[in-house]
Amino acid sequence: MAVMAKKGKREVPAMSTSSLPDIVFMLLFFFMAATTMREVDPLVSVQMPEAIEITELDKKNLVNIWMGKPLGAAKGEDALKIQLNDQTREVEDIRDFISATTVTKGVGPKDIVVNLRVDEGATVGKLTAVKQELRKAEALNISYAARAAETH
Amino acid sequence: MAKAKKKAGDINSSSMADIAFLLLIFFLVTTTMDVDTGMKRTLPPWIDPTEQQNDVDVNERNVLKVNVSRSGAIMVGTEEYRSSDLRRSGEHSRLSREVYFFLVDPERSNKKATEIDGATYNVSEGLVSLKADDETEYKVYLKVQDELTHAFNLYRDDISRQVYGKAYDELDDIQAGNIRKAVPMKISEAEPNDQTKK
Repeated sequence: MAVMAKKGKREVPAMSTSSLPDIVFMLLFFFMAATTMREVDPLVSVQMPEAIEITELDKKNLVNIWMGKPLGAAKGEDALKIQLNDQTREVEDIRDFISATTVTKGVGPKDIVVNLRVDEGATVGKLTAVKQELRKAEALNISYAARAAETH
Repeated sequence: MAKAKKKAGDINSSSMADIAFLLLIFFLVTTTMDVDTGMKRTLPPWIDPTEQQNDVDVNERNVLKVNVSRSGAIMVGTEEYRSSDLRRSGEHSRLSREVYFFLVDPERSNKKATEIDGATYNVSEGLVSLKADDETEYKVYLKVQDELTHAFNLYRDDISRQVYGKAYDELDDIQAGNIRKAVPMKISEAEPNDQTKK
């Protein structure tokens, strides 16, 4: 009898992990579908301002221009830099950049939307200079990139 | 002899999970989830400053002047606004309310009969002239733009209710396009004059 009692106390079988890959693959496909590849590394630090009346921008034909302090700049240094693709450039380079972009995208300058990712600490004067260059380049559709503000 | 024909053993698939995890982590690191959001604007076409310009005569009465100083003080018409007037209390801020009333009030901006979807409605010809100092902080400037957009959206909502009997954001794409065309976001920015600045 004593032997029988010992036998009755069975061990719990190990949990099957064969479905773990399926779960992980499901997660993987979700992330692949829901996200986009990061195209360029930021060279300037941009803290985008908050706004309420914003709309989602169509990724197609969207051209980004960054403006902010260079990353790793000394504390006192506050010269604003402009980043086009993955290089820091000057305001005067914007026109060439727009014409080069329209060629690679195969559309006219009127069909692209220039997304201005400007640091909230930047000045309007510098922004105006950029906008003037865009007007010269005939890229008139712009958008001020902003974060959605939490409405209280 | 038949015993020699062994069944091929199953491939151990326990590392499949590890591989999948590795891929998952790779995608998590290299991709971004955020959607690009922003405030859309259309710039006026470039005018060569050397060319003879004939300024478009805009009726002074239809213009609301908004000036932003370098310290962030705001003048709307002849009234002074503080930065707290940009903040919303409830649905609107003082600035957006003021701009909205400017658009609605026939005493303050002229109404023009405009055809929308086959019928004519009176739509304001009001224009907001925005001028910001070069040294103004971008954050303040965008907040002003935000409130101006809000005022125009409120006005579009008004017109939309008159035309279609529902709110602007409930309209389909064609209807919303009609409203946008009839009530453009008239925010004009003064031409920067380089002559006065070095």
